[in-house]
Amino acid sequence: MTVNSSLHSVSNQLVISIDERFDFSLHQQFRDCYSQVHQKGLEYILDLSKTKYMDSSALGMILLLKDHVEMYASTLTIQNPSETVSKILEIAQFHRLMTIK
Amino acid sequence: MANNQKLALIVDDSKTQCKILTKLLEEEHYSVIEANDGSSGVQKYISHKPDLVLMDINMPIMDGFEAARQIKKLSGTKDLAPLIFITSMDTDQAFIDSVDSGGDGILVRPFSPNVFKAKIKSIQRISNLYQQVKTLQQEQQQDAELAEKMMSEVIESRNFALDRVQVIKKAATIFSGDIQLTALCPNGAIHVLLGDFTGHGLRSSIGAIPVTETFRAMTRKGFSLFEIVAQLNKQLNHLLPADLFFAASFVCISDHEKSAYILNAGLPDGYLFNDKGQIRKRFESSHPPLGILRELLPDAKVEVVDIDLSDSVVFISDGIIEARNEQGELFGVERFENAATEGIIDNNLVSTVNERLEVFCLGVPQEDDISLVAIPCHGWIKEVINNKPVIPESLNEQDFNQQSTPTWSWHLHLTGKLLRTVNPIPMIMSQINDIEGAGEHWHNLYTILTELFINSLDHGVLGLSSSLKKSPEGFSQYFNERTSRLNKLDSGFVLISLKYFPLSEGGKMVVNIKDSGKGFNILKVMKSNTEQLATSNDLSGRGIELVNQLCDTLEYIEEGTSVTASYVWHNKS
Repeated sequence: MTVNSSLHSVSNQLVISIDERFDFSLHQQFRDCYSQVHQKGLEYILDLSKTKYMDSSALGMILLLKDHVEMYASTLTIQNPSETVSKILEIAQFHRLMTIK
Repeated sequence: MANNQKLALIVDDSKTQCKILTKLLEEEHYSVIEANDGSSGVQKYISHKPDLVLMDINMPIMDGFEAARQIKKLSGTKDLAPLIFITSMDTDQAFIDSVDSGGDGILVRPFSPNVFKAKIKSIQRISNLYQQVKTLQQEQQQDAELAEKMMSEVIESRNFALDRVQVIKKAATIFSGDIQLTALCPNGAIHVLLGDFTGHGLRSSIGAIPVTETFRAMTRKGFSLFEIVAQLNKQLNHLLPADLFFAASFVCISDHEKSAYILNAGLPDGYLFNDKGQIRKRFESSHPPLGILRELLPDAKVEVVDIDLSDSVVFISDGIIEARNEQGELFGVERFENAATEGIIDNNLVSTVNERLEVFCLGVPQEDDISLVAIPCHGWIKEVINNKPVIPESLNEQDFNQQSTPTWSWHLHLTGKLLRTVNPIPMIMSQINDIEGAGEHWHNLYTILTELFINSLDHGVLGLSSSLKKSPEGFSQYFNERTSRLNKLDSGFVLISLKYFPLSEGGKMVVNIKDSGKGFNILKVMKSNTEQLATSNDLSGRGIELVNQLCDTLEYIEEGTSVTASYVWHNKS
């Protein structure tokens, strides 16, 4: 699996981690990770530590996740992006839209 | 129905086997042709183009594997005529070889008629699916071609100054999500946009037409670059689904102010190069791509830079720096910058960058759209001055009679805080167009109005000294000071009045602008302006000199707090 997700009910966290390539081919898998999660007040963590490549449709997919997160009064954090991925997020100025650490 | 009847080709050296298979296939409504060795099987495949091939393995002249290889080579990826081996060789190797030679299935004797028919049905089902995919793919290709045609013929061919703005544009799929737009402002500045919609193909093109329309219409009406960006963002946010957005860089180059206004929302760094190919400035992305947020971020702003007329502004999309070679390395920023520098020195930026990219990628298929625009920083203002209509040498008698009373007049009194947010010029131009219809002569009037209004606001109401523009940081420092004073503004006024007099072969517009400022020593400023223009490249006074050239008469009264310009034009015959 190139997209993994796990829900930790104790810490109220949903962690989604992506493998090496984050592009349009993951569209469906990525959506399936969260679309059935309707719990409120969750902390969504998008773990990009293993991701080496990301294209603009991946940015679009993150925006869809952000819409979902906001609809359920939850928070979204992008975690540990690699240098290349950080650069892409920076060009798109995504730190103005969500938390990246 | 005869037309829909499928054709099967049986290749088998045993006449008996052929007969049995023919009978079974006919029960499944196939018509059947036979060949008794591999070589004539290939010939019959070519001449009859069957929908299904049944192939024996051991045959004289050419065996089944070789025949299958040749047939599959002929059919290529265009059509899938499924090919099934029928054999009594029940070994692993026979199975492996049949797949390797291109067979779609193998059926080992003995088998019952029902098993045979089931096999035929299943293989035909796969073949039908393949056909459907093929048809859909062709339709998609046609749509993409249509979109590309629309893009290049309708959108980009209407760009301004195609001969002077250098462009690279290579689409990854047939249709590119990248667009490049140029348009001339009424005051002779040029607006350029390089944008990249998310994704590729038709899906990424839905925003292209509204972006183009808005960009052109607002530029033509005289809206500032920032107003255009804000409007495009709003429009795209409304129009595009949440995961589609538009990364774009914008520049307005004004050669008479010797400055460029730039905003980069989500693209790689843009550049200001001098004519030696050195990078004078990089413009980093300062805002998320357009279409994501409902409104631009509160701190969104255009960057103002001083330019030399020999400079050029260069924008690129991420396709250039993310292009890969066979080893998976990226072309990268450094290689691009080096290529650009050399290209500018050799005066062929586009071909140098193109060549470097091609050598680097060496035939590796392109993953993303590649585009670049390079805009020279000079020569734009000429477009306006050259358009200057002929001022009639003498007015005839009828004109004199009509001149005493205007056919209409229009006033706008803007005060205090409104001066921060309202740009009255597009409003005025739209009034004029509504009453008098569109016309080329309004372009010059636009320039006159803009220059006079900005003068009254900057030097009158805001009390800015144009000597600020002479400092080393020049225009950008002036612009920053202007922004800060404007933000604090809560008193003062600008009063704009227009009077329109029709003439027998044209018309006259008298513009009066008054402001609440302290005024200035008219004679002194005019004199120093003339001296400066004659001796140096100083920036201040350039605007008013331009107005002077365009107007019939220009007069400052009331200690410089009131200016009256009279603009006369001849209809083009």
